[in-house]
Amino acid sequence: MTRLLKILEYGLSSLARRKFKNFSIIAIYSFTIAALASILLLTHSLKEIAVNVLADGPDIVVQRLTGGRHDLIPANYTQGIEQLAGVGRVTPRIWGYYYDSLYQTNYTMLGVQQDMPQLEMVEGRMVVADGECTVGQGVATAQNAEIGNELLLINSAGIGSTCEITGMFKARSNLWTNDLILFTKDDLQRFFATPAGLATDITVEVFNPKEIPVVAQKIRQLFPDTRPVTINEILHTYESVFNWRSGMMLTIFASSLIAFSILAWDKATGISGEEKQEIGILKAIGWDTGDILALKFSEGSVISVTAFLLGIFFAYIHVFLLGAPLLVPVLKGWSVLFPPLHLVPYVNMYQIFTLGFLTIVPYMASTVIPSWKSAITDPESIMRG
Amino acid sequence: MPLIIKTEHVSKYYNRHKPDEVRALDDVSLTIAQGEALVLNGASGSGKTTLLSLIGCMARPTSGSVSIQDKEVSKLPERFLTDIRRQTFGFIFQQLNLIRNISVMENIQLPLYPSAIPMREMNRRAIEILTRLNILNKARMKVSALSGGEQQRVAIARALINQPQIIIADEPTAHLDSSLAAELLEILSELNRGGKTVVIATHDPYVSRHRLIDRIIRMRDGRIIGGSEP
Ligand SMILES: Nc1ncnc2c1ncn2[C@@H]1O[C@H](COP(=O)(O)OP(=O)(O)OP(=O)(O)O)[C@@H](O)[C@H]1O
Ligand SMILES: [Mg+2]
Repeated sequence: MTRLLKILEYGLSSLARRKFKNFSIIAIYSFTIAALASILLLTHSLKEIAVNVLADGPDIVVQRLTGGRHDLIPANYTQGIEQLAGVGRVTPRIWGYYYDSLYQTNYTMLGVQQDMPQLEMVEGRMVVADGECTVGQGVATAQNAEIGNELLLINSAGIGSTCEITGMFKARSNLWTNDLILFTKDDLQRFFATPAGLATDITVEVFNPKEIPVVAQKIRQLFPDTRPVTINEILHTYESVFNWRSGMMLTIFASSLIAFSILAWDKATGISGEEKQEIGILKAIGWDTGDILALKFSEGSVISVTAFLLGIFFAYIHVFLLGAPLLVPVLKGWSVLFPPLHLVPYVNMYQIFTLGFLTIVPYMASTVIPSWKSAITDPESIMRG
Repeated sequence: MPLIIKTEHVSKYYNRHKPDEVRALDDVSLTIAQGEALVLNGASGSGKTTLLSLIGCMARPTSGSVSIQDKEVSKLPERFLTDIRRQTFGFIFQQLNLIRNISVMENIQLPLYPSAIPMREMNRRAIEILTRLNILNKARMKVSALSGGEQQRVAIARALINQPQIIIADEPTAHLDSSLAAELLEILSELNRGGKTVVIATHDPYVSRHRLIDRIIRMRDGRIIGGSEP
């Protein structure tokens, strides 16, 4: 035990002795890790967010198609749908997007209804009466608004209207709740000038998730002008988007990994004459191969673990605190899908471990193997210098 | 006096069966008694270093056998040879082989790192030896900042730290002026009086004629061509 501890101590002091070299290795190494980890953290987090949002959503959304385009749907279709077996609550929704030209932001507007996911209030209360509205945190921040303030909105006909902010809810997944504004249905119907008796779409609750496709099929038969979109289909769409993106990401990931391996390989083949001589000297004066391996192992693990943890730390800050500014240009497509405000820090430990494995192991191998090779040869050459 | 080193019909070839084959040692049989001080003498290329490296368990003979303290070592696995090197030998190399960018203290303690000897004891021994060699004031300095003679003394200190039975020195006076050479031989004499076996390869007549030396072995072309009292 003392033996190992002393060797570790010597390892640390030899690291300190090659400060400049080791510092540059740690810098390059942790930068690589930070780049790879940023990609992993970002993709994983976006995926989690999407899945969470959808999990809160309705089982089926029924849209009406006119000429292949999304159109308003008669609210009384609900009656027909409610008759179907296994169907729970059926709700017509009024919702839409609103572009605030003053602040240059997009909001989602939704009429309150019973089957909404529970929203956690930060302050105040939910909207109950016409002329009132409740906003997500993002909206409040963007408008610099407080409870009791009047929110000014201008509809597509150019007519302005105001609503009083009654409360603010927590942006749970940050994605759609962050930029959401809630109104009474009537208010919103007036604002969007939606004709009476029509809705944007209809949401359907299905008791047994297994029956969702069957119910969707029946709705289609009942109302041939509709397109019921199931949660699974939406998930699929997201999945395929993510898979396509993941594929691209994987390419970047792989190429970084290759670059990293080249670096490691370079180091492996480039064990310096000085290092070789040192190993020879140590062997000659009584260090055995195991002692030398322990030495190189301790040096290698200090470097790679430090670099790895630093890299993960930088990646976390980059992605979750700064909003991945260095990756966003690469991910243009995404910024349309997800106006990234602040990403929720979802971390997949499995991915992090994989990354650790894929980088620490090759690095360790590249430091330990050449040292081992030079340690197993007889130290005879040391006698001749 | 009991035998401490014995070589029997030892030969060493380099690049065996190749056009550039070298027979560095040819059928060398030699016995060295415990406490003896012995010089290997011979022209450059005669095989002195090769013989020292076989005796010192740094290399293995192509044929023949080497025994240290009655133990046949030429067939032992590497691991055991390392242990023997650490426990039995102190080496002073022809090229000093110090690690230049670490301190004197660390250099001389290196042979004790792979052992159970606690750090406190290591420090005690190092200070004792450095005091004896009169370089304690350089203990914290890097080897690269020392003069040649000082480096030589660091190399000697490193050879002594593990309290070896046998001291092997290859051309130890090569880089020393005459007063430093005298000092070195004094140190070796003192160790020899304390019972250590000393084997020196040299062609420096000053060493061969020193009163420390009990026996001179003459070598040529990898063979022993004679031995004599100095
Ligand atoms: N690794 C090697 N490969 C090939 N030949 C070698 C090798 N090592 C030594 N030799 C040869 O073996 C012979 C003996 O070398 P050795 O170093 O033992 O001589 P030496 O007596 O110590 O000489 P010097 O006084 O110059 O140190 C020389 O001819 C040398 O060239
Ligand atoms: Mg020699």
